[in-house]
Amino acid sequence: MEEGVGTPGSSMHGVTGREPAFALSVNSPSIPTDTTAKFDLPVDSEHKAKTFKLFSLKNPHMRTFHLSWISFFTCFVSTFAAAPLVPIIRDNLNLTKTDVGNAGVASVSGSIFSRLVMGAVCDLLGPRYGCAFLIMLSAPTVFCMSLVSSATGYIVMRFMIGFSLATFVSCQYWMSTMFNSKIIGTVNGTAAGWGNMGGGATQLLMPLVYELIHKIGATPFTAWRISFFIPGFMHIIMGIFVLTLGQDLPDGNLSSLQKKGDVNKDKFSKVLWYAVTNYRTWIFVLLYGYCMGVELTTDNVIAEYFFDRFNLNLRTAGIIAACFGMANIVARPFGGYMSDWGARKFGMRGRLWNVWILQTLGGAFCLWLGLANSLPISVFAMICFSICAQAACGGIFGVIPFISRRSLGIISGMTGAGGNFGSGLTQLLFFTSSKYSTAKGLSYMGIMIMACTLPVTLVHFPQWGSMFLPPSQKSTEEHYYSSEWTEEERHQGLHQASLKFAENSRSERGKRIASAPTPPNSTPVHV
Amino acid sequence: MAGHFCFPSAAMVLLIFVCFVGRAIGGVSFSTLPRTLAVTASPKQGQVLMAGVDKLKVSWGLNQTEKEGTDEAYKKVKVKLCYAPVSQQNRGWRKTEDDLKKDKTCQFTITTQPYTKNPNPSSFEYILERDLPSASYFVRVYALDGNDKEVAYGQTTDAQKTTNLFQVIAITGRHASLDIAAACFSAFSVVSLIFFFVKEKRKAKK
Repeated sequence: MEEGVGTPGSSMHGVTGREPAFALSVNSPSIPTDTTAKFDLPVDSEHKAKTFKLFSLKNPHMRTFHLSWISFFTCFVSTFAAAPLVPIIRDNLNLTKTDVGNAGVASVSGSIFSRLVMGAVCDLLGPRYGCAFLIMLSAPTVFCMSLVSSATGYIVMRFMIGFSLATFVSCQYWMSTMFNSKIIGTVNGTAAGWGNMGGGATQLLMPLVYELIHKIGATPFTAWRISFFIPGFMHIIMGIFVLTLGQDLPDGNLSSLQKKGDVNKDKFSKVLWYAVTNYRTWIFVLLYGYCMGVELTTDNVIAEYFFDRFNLNLRTAGIIAACFGMANIVARPFGGYMSDWGARKFGMRGRLWNVWILQTLGGAFCLWLGLANSLPISVFAMICFSICAQAACGGIFGVIPFISRRSLGIISGMTGAGGNFGSGLTQLLFFTSSKYSTAKGLSYMGIMIMACTLPVTLVHFPQWGSMFLPPSQKSTEEHYYSSEWTEEERHQGLHQASLKFAENSRSERGKRIASAPTPPNSTPVHV
Repeated sequence: MAGHFCFPSAAMVLLIFVCFVGRAIGGVSFSTLPRTLAVTASPKQGQVLMAGVDKLKVSWGLNQTEKEGTDEAYKKVKVKLCYAPVSQQNRGWRKTEDDLKKDKTCQFTITTQPYTKNPNPSSFEYILERDLPSASYFVRVYALDGNDKEVAYGQTTDAQKTTNLFQVIAITGRHASLDIAAACFSAFSVVSLIFFFVKEKRKAKK
């Protein structure tokens, strides 16, 4: 098996920029089909699927996809379940604005750590058990929400429920065992976007459940507690499905996965070093904090904002808030598509401009959202904000694969953590103290988004240029990607995969590469 | 990339235009209302009441010092339970605004009834609702005219809202049955996980 193929982050998909962002299948000449295997989908030599059939539930590939994204979706639902019910909870528990803000920060902070641990858990137990353990062990925290009677209890419970967002890692890991690396980008991107939708769906679901229970006869302060049983049941149901219907590998063999997991092909300390010393990593960590981060923050504050500012009832505020999160179904893939489109025309410079334009526009719409005094304008601004911020998330992950070949996994992980960190920071700064109203907080957040997106102008690839500077004449892709390996390592030939990547990444020069012949057999001719 | 620039410039123009449009027509300004009603409530200063259990009695009538005919326009009264400043601190959703349409001080209506000169004072007995939050409160009565617009008011506390406040303690909303159900389902979740894990490990060993 080729080194590094199939490990999370090793996908070459989208690398050339000439493949459409959403290739849903890989052609046989480039990856041979294993004709002896009896699966519903054509598979490669490792029995990983080469195509992606969305509406199928057949074991094991598509079933894994659906189990995986729905588990992630469920965890998003329970993490943000409190947000649309805050108007009721704050009266029951006598919360101050500080308490509400701190709980919001707590809900996104837990997963910074749990995502790091989850990687190790998946290596030890496999992604199926990683997912099942997390989802079943966080079910008690969801049920115990109905027992809280103080601000401290509320904050602690939201912190603990937030751990469950680490299902993102198990989701991506599990899919990389089931799908060929040439399509894994699309598959993982779709799963991530649809999981994120849970943050929107919960704003719709929880007020509906609450009103139903209230109508049946419970008082408000009891009804919201009972409502939390619904996400709790979802956890248990998905956990059981994952345990009974899922399998770790296409052939169902867990022990061979454990054997593979033991073999560390590269030294962790080196990989971490090259991730941490690359300044581009940190710029994108910051940037992701201001697109994904503000998306999570807005999930937490927007329903309460509409409830208070425009005197809507809980259900209406929830429906409007849901529109924000649900835009993920198209907005995030759209961002990735625009990134690929920009790359075809202008290379990496197009990708960087795409990120800057989308994220800055998102900040402008957020500023407008805070200033808007009437409901229709407010909703319109919110929808524009959501589309731009989520597209920016997609666009950022269009650039990340090129920052480093050796440390891609860690950089992706750090970027994800940056998202959560940005969310905690913005909630702490703008939505916790009574100095600003929520409306002012949104406006300031918009300004901060625009300011924190400026560093993308500093990202420079010697071989491709940056937003304002052209590439330096003498620089090559090979030089950039080989510089992550020491002389010794290069002597040992450990950098071969990076060289191959460098060759394929020449498409990031944009239209200029028209004259360079593509090496045969390295990219699909047509998809 | 041109498409990238059309959209934001149009949006900017729209932004500047509509920021100044769509300001809602304001309601009555509280500072213009005369305090002509004398209002008393049964709870004494600092008394603690339990929501869902205790009652309070509100009485209101035209102030003795007011001229005859001041209350010609009063058609209805709206009796409201209002937050004291100490319970509004750090809680923007209970903020006092002069514009009564935006004011969030008084969020609970005790009763709305026609204004009558007899009996004087009128009164109403109210059982504290079970959705009242724990807070310090006072009672305010608005006099409404034929168009349901506020034209006068009276309240149990002074202008600074510092005297004669009473406390309400909310219900927790918790029930023993909920606690038991939560414990059972949590246990089920953990136990079934362990059960499946052990079962598969045993099968793998065989």
